[in-house]
Amino acid sequence: MALCTKKRPPEEERRARANDREYNEKFQYASNCIKTSKYNIVTFLPVNLFEQFQEVANTYFLFLLILQLIPQISSLSWFTTIVPLVLVLTITAVKDATDDYFRHKSDNQVNNRQSQVLISGILQQEQWMNVRVGDIIKLENNQFVAADLLLLSSSEPHGLCYIETAELDGETNMKVRQAIPVTSELGDINKLAKFDGEVICEPPNNKLDKFSGTLYWKENKFPLSNQNMLLRGCVLRNTEWCFGLVIFAGPDTKLMQNSGRTKFKRTSIDRLMNTLVLWIFGFLVCMGVILAIGNAIWEYEVGVRFQVYLPWDEAVDSAFFSGFLSFWSYIIILNTVVPISLYVSVEVIRLGHSYFINWDKKMYCMKKRTPAEARTTTLNEELGQVEYIFSDKTGTLTQNIMIFNKCSIYGRSYGDVFDVLGHKAELGERPEPIDFSFNPLADKKFLFWDPSLLEAVKVGDPHTHEFFRLLSLCHTVMSEEKNEGELYYKAQSPDEGALVTAARNFGFVFRSRTPKTITVHEMGKAITYQLLAILDFNNIRKRMSVIVRNSEGKIRLYCKGADTILLERLHPSNHELLNTTTDHLNEYAGDGLRTLVLAYKDLEEDYYEEWAERRLRASLAQDSREDRLASVYDEVENDMMLLGATAIEDKLQQGVPETIALLTLANIKIWVLTGDKQETAVNIGYSCKMLTDDMTEVFIVTGHTVLEVREELRKAREKMMESSRTVGNGFSYQEKLSSSKLTSVLEAIAGEYALVINGHSLAHALEADMELEFLETACACKAVICCRVTPLQKAQVVELVKKYKKAVTLAIGDGANDVSMIKTAHIGVGISGQEGIQAVLASDYSFSQFKFLQRLLLVHGRWSYLRMCKFLCYFFYKNFAFTMVHFWFGFFCGFSAQTVYDQYFITLYNIVYTSLPVLAMGVFDQDVPEQRSMEYPKLYEPGQLNLLFNKREFFICIAQGIYTSVLMFFIPYGVFAEATRDDGTQLADYQSFAVTVATSLVIVVSVQIGLDTGYWTAINHFFIWGSLAVYFAILFAMHSKGLFEMFPNQFRFVGNAQNTLAQPTVWFTIVLTTVVCIMPVVAFRFLKLDLKPELSDTVRYTQLVRKKQKAQHRCMRRVGRTGSRRSGYAFSHQEGFGELIMSGKNMRLSSLALSSFTTRSSSSWIETLRRKKSDSASSPSGGADKPLKG
Amino acid sequence: MERNSNDVRGLLSRMPDNTAFKQQRLPAWRSHLTAWAVLPGFFTTGAFFLGMGILLILSAKSVKEIEITYTSMCSNCAKLRENASNFYKECTCSVPFFIPEKMPGNVYMYYKLHNFYQNLRRYTISRNNRQLLGEDITNVENCAPFQRDSNGIPIAPCGAIANSMFNDTILLSYYPHSSTRINVPLLSSGITWWTDKHIKFQNPRSNNLPSAFTGTTKPPYWRKPVYQLDPENPENNGFLNNDFIVWMRVAALPTFKKLYRRIHRTGPFANGLPAGNYSFDIAYNFPVTVFKGEKGVVLSTVTWSGGSNLFLGIAYLTTGAVMWLAAFSMTAVHLKMKKRNIVSES
Repeated sequence: MALCTKKRPPEEERRARANDREYNEKFQYASNCIKTSKYNIVTFLPVNLFEQFQEVANTYFLFLLILQLIPQISSLSWFTTIVPLVLVLTITAVKDATDDYFRHKSDNQVNNRQSQVLISGILQQEQWMNVRVGDIIKLENNQFVAADLLLLSSSEPHGLCYIETAELDGETNMKVRQAIPVTSELGDINKLAKFDGEVICEPPNNKLDKFSGTLYWKENKFPLSNQNMLLRGCVLRNTEWCFGLVIFAGPDTKLMQNSGRTKFKRTSIDRLMNTLVLWIFGFLVCMGVILAIGNAIWEYEVGVRFQVYLPWDEAVDSAFFSGFLSFWSYIIILNTVVPISLYVSVEVIRLGHSYFINWDKKMYCMKKRTPAEARTTTLNEELGQVEYIFSDKTGTLTQNIMIFNKCSIYGRSYGDVFDVLGHKAELGERPEPIDFSFNPLADKKFLFWDPSLLEAVKVGDPHTHEFFRLLSLCHTVMSEEKNEGELYYKAQSPDEGALVTAARNFGFVFRSRTPKTITVHEMGKAITYQLLAILDFNNIRKRMSVIVRNSEGKIRLYCKGADTILLERLHPSNHELLNTTTDHLNEYAGDGLRTLVLAYKDLEEDYYEEWAERRLRASLAQDSREDRLASVYDEVENDMMLLGATAIEDKLQQGVPETIALLTLANIKIWVLTGDKQETAVNIGYSCKMLTDDMTEVFIVTGHTVLEVREELRKAREKMMESSRTVGNGFSYQEKLSSSKLTSVLEAIAGEYALVINGHSLAHALEADMELEFLETACACKAVICCRVTPLQKAQVVELVKKYKKAVTLAIGDGANDVSMIKTAHIGVGISGQEGIQAVLASDYSFSQFKFLQRLLLVHGRWSYLRMCKFLCYFFYKNFAFTMVHFWFGFFCGFSAQTVYDQYFITLYNIVYTSLPVLAMGVFDQDVPEQRSMEYPKLYEPGQLNLLFNKREFFICIAQGIYTSVLMFFIPYGVFAEATRDDGTQLADYQSFAVTVATSLVIVVSVQIGLDTGYWTAINHFFIWGSLAVYFAILFAMHSKGLFEMFPNQFRFVGNAQNTLAQPTVWFTIVLTTVVCIMPVVAFRFLKLDLKPELSDTVRYTQLVRKKQKAQHRCMRRVGRTGSRRSGYAFSHQEGFGELIMSGKNMRLSSLALSSFTTRSSSSWIETLRRKKSDSASSPSGGADKPLKG
Repeated sequence: MERNSNDVRGLLSRMPDNTAFKQQRLPAWRSHLTAWAVLPGFFTTGAFFLGMGILLILSAKSVKEIEITYTSMCSNCAKLRENASNFYKECTCSVPFFIPEKMPGNVYMYYKLHNFYQNLRRYTISRNNRQLLGEDITNVENCAPFQRDSNGIPIAPCGAIANSMFNDTILLSYYPHSSTRINVPLLSSGITWWTDKHIKFQNPRSNNLPSAFTGTTKPPYWRKPVYQLDPENPENNGFLNNDFIVWMRVAALPTFKKLYRRIHRTGPFANGLPAGNYSFDIAYNFPVTVFKGEKGVVLSTVTWSGGSNLFLGIAYLTTGAVMWLAAFSMTAVHLKMKKRNIVSES
């Protein structure tokens, strides 16, 4: 572990020589060991204590302790402070120690992962932490990359390798990395062992998409770029193995550089509490000053004469100085208004709530075997105040599984499954899926429920056959057949994989391909098609086509693409079919399915020859090659015959629409921030019912320049205002808009709007001069979707809302690209149970299903907030009631800082007599059962509006406390002034007075906690009655003969309890005090229930409202779909793969017919891929396909 | 198989327990402030308070009490005591008074001090219980500023409380006729708590009290050492002197009365003090005018609830009345709201 802690000067540049540990050690680069823990056994105590005393509260109590050691002002024994202080420090230390233990454990787990390192010519298993810069390590398929590596060689041709960067940037499509040509030949260990190239590159930084360096090898220089790097956190996919040279390790890796220090999050209640504590300090000082002045006056008037009986202390020479001392004495006495136990109790309660979250069975995911986990134990009550949720899409809302769900073939729709109720059934409730056993090559994991489609295939319906033939031919999937019949598809996008797999199961099995052929098993018959051309996919074309020649020599073009594009390119004869298909498409789109339209076209031989010629010319053109190609493609993809449409379900996580609907009802605004494409994001918006067709309008902002974006935002706002103006509540909007306040009229607009904004537009919208406009517009919308956003932008959006809306934000995500927003938001939630754990590690709460969010917020969060608020109110109340008695007594004891109570009572009041009942309430209280908080999402509102504990509530508590303290002092005062005991002896001695006041206080605060407790479990009973019993037990013990005889000067109250509490007058006093203190509270609460009941009160009392709300609830759940024409097209695809296939570069030599290998445009595919990358990297507004930006 | 069972265990170990506690489903009573609980509660508590109030007032009224402040009546003595040099000069003062009504039963005699702060912080802690237990007679820790005399000899009993002990002697005389004077017999026993007398205060173990206190000196304001406090009753000396014990139990408030004597119910006083003329004969030793204080004597009877205490009765009565008032208005509000709710529902 010691290795991890080494501190080094900042690097200028990094040099790493392969296979030369000695050389590399000179630079003392960080090893691959990561350390997130804070302490070790030796440093724990000093460091932890140091940290704890940085807390203002602890230092304050230390200061008090020192004050108490000064005899002149020590109004209380030192133990009244040291006992709670030590208790607090111990509890916190234990908690910190456990936390750190778990951090050690997780560090160890990561550090001890195995990887294969090439050491002195042999591959050896090494733990991750022992990997050094300059080592060559071998990665295998599906392994995590251990450090930032320079890719040297791989199992794939040309040193290619595929990685999934979801951990890093959240993108789920695979990316290609390529080794530089000179190293890509270093395929075997012997060659690698001899490799001694030296890399000189930039120092560690957090830019995920940039890398610049040079490889020096054999007297040659080779430039290196990000294209050659494998970053820690990526996963190797579809690549059997690869070798890499470690460039950055451990804390220097881009992943760790990006993770940054965890900011300590505080809840708004924390901040409020700190403010209030400061106020209370101010109040304390005021009290101290008043009493000190009182003391000075008293000493001047009375005390100076009373010196006969009590001379002033030697140090005291004037009434003024006496007053000064008495100020400090009173500070000591009155410090209990801010009891040290406040902070501990708050922590304990939060810890309890965290455990309830961890223990919640309803947040446990059976499938992934992951329980929910509260990773931060200090934020719970903030869960009850969330107003904005920022959600990632992939992996959070969706499972990133594409499912071939429905299709429309020649005007007939397949794939609808209805259960008894006529609902679309959930997976578990469906009948048996259809049986594909006729097809030995079928993928067993593929499920389909509509048997009629299989019928159609079996009957030999030509359209259906053509449909699946298209699916099996028109794609860029690579197949791999390790054993006979065991087919694996390497799909570049999951959509495509789903389509090809569907075709495979319905008997059109894509078997293998070469650059020039595609072999398909059609209904068991192997047919090889000649692949003439792939008209590649891109974002503008939104379609892809293949041109193939079948075994009969006929040339046919197969095309699949977005409906909006494709439907316009059909042959006019398709008119009728087009209408039915459009209906189907609308239906699919309404269900939130991702649709593609399929079409074909027969080409004449001559025409094709001529076209191919033109295409060749276009592809060889020097300038505007792309435009020329596009127009050539356009030309051929025309007058096509419609075949049908596919509908792919981007499988949502369970219960996502319901959760979103419920959270929306709870007045929580949900923004989706995704790195995915606009179409996909919008599509998911619809499928999870964030966007509906009922919405007045969905604004889409895609501007590329500042002006465009501003214009689009302005238009959106105008539209919204226009509509609400027509609704007509005629006051001037302009006027209000000009006011600086952000709670603008836009908040109150009528109609439902949604905003979809693209990453490159967002970059402009987030600029300082436009962010307010953007925020205003966005907040006026019911739903906001930001697509193609970078991790940094995600954080910026969250920050923006945090900054201006003063609302509690929650970010939920699953990937490393969400880490920044998870850390920025008030509350970060990570989806656990996935492969990556970056998000979870950065998060405050983690669980494995998005749907658990509703329970986390509406049940746990709500309760936590309620409990915390009740706890705080009561806590401040009880301490004011307790402490202020001293203040009143000051007026009757010459302001001499005499306490009203026995010092033991003062010590124990907060930590024994009154701590547990309020803790029990803070941990267990429930106002309404958990089902109700789900049924009435509106119950969540008080938290958002911060109603239960705010400055006003605080003052009410304080007022109640002071009221109680007044009665607590003056009622006994009134009684004791005159009374005598029933045996004629004096009643009004100091000790009896102390016992009477203390006993009434304990009883009053116990009754009050009884009133505040809404949910009396056995534990509450035990604690409340127990506290009272313990009070009396301790009272009698402290006043017992035994203790007195041992320590006569410490236990002066001997015999007091039995003498005082035997007096009826004392009990009359206690009863009177209790009733007078409690009666107004009961009356007030009762009247409030009658006159101004809260929703929670209503829910508790009546079931009448329940039915109404339920109806409304159901209404909301109904799928609202109208016939609006909307494209459901979405496809997570990257351009350039068609070219790659046609070049044959990515095919194993073994599977290639070498003879038919042509070198035409041999290297352009990688150029295309590269160009796309650099485009997006150089300008975020370039808006290509990579939202990756540091 | 092995793996399977491991899996099951793993599954179970991560799955939260389905216990009522962990799932927050503990059986519990949900408290409600329903009208059915609150309104009758208010009415009954109110009734109880009204009843108790009347009872307390009646019993307080039944207490006979006479209070005589004698600082001004004995102004000569008061003046004399203002000068410390007259410390050893005797000064007596007779205060005649009249008891209009018979004081039946036990009658208690108190001295009452006004403006005497026995509750000052430094005053209350200026004592040493270990010394008072007779264990370590020279232990004068905590007793500042009266620990030792100028010669360094420890004071017994030490401390400000003991030093300032009330040392007037008050005798009560009854004049059945203008010429006859009967000394009312007074008891100094039974005026302390049993625990004080038997636990908190002990004389040093010795056959001879004076020798037990050798090595110590009397408090500076005392005329006699602690073992000579009661010349009449040798048992009532040392730390076990009743007046001393009473004084040492400091008062909570600056105006207080402490029990001084009980009327011995013998002879003409068997049924209490008959109405008539009385006088207090006071040996005025305790200076109070220096700090603007006053002294008084109180004669009082007691009932089951102690001495005269109108405050409690009035407070009970008021509280009861307010509760009934509140209960009535709450009922009114509740009925009105209920009606409105019914209307709005229909």
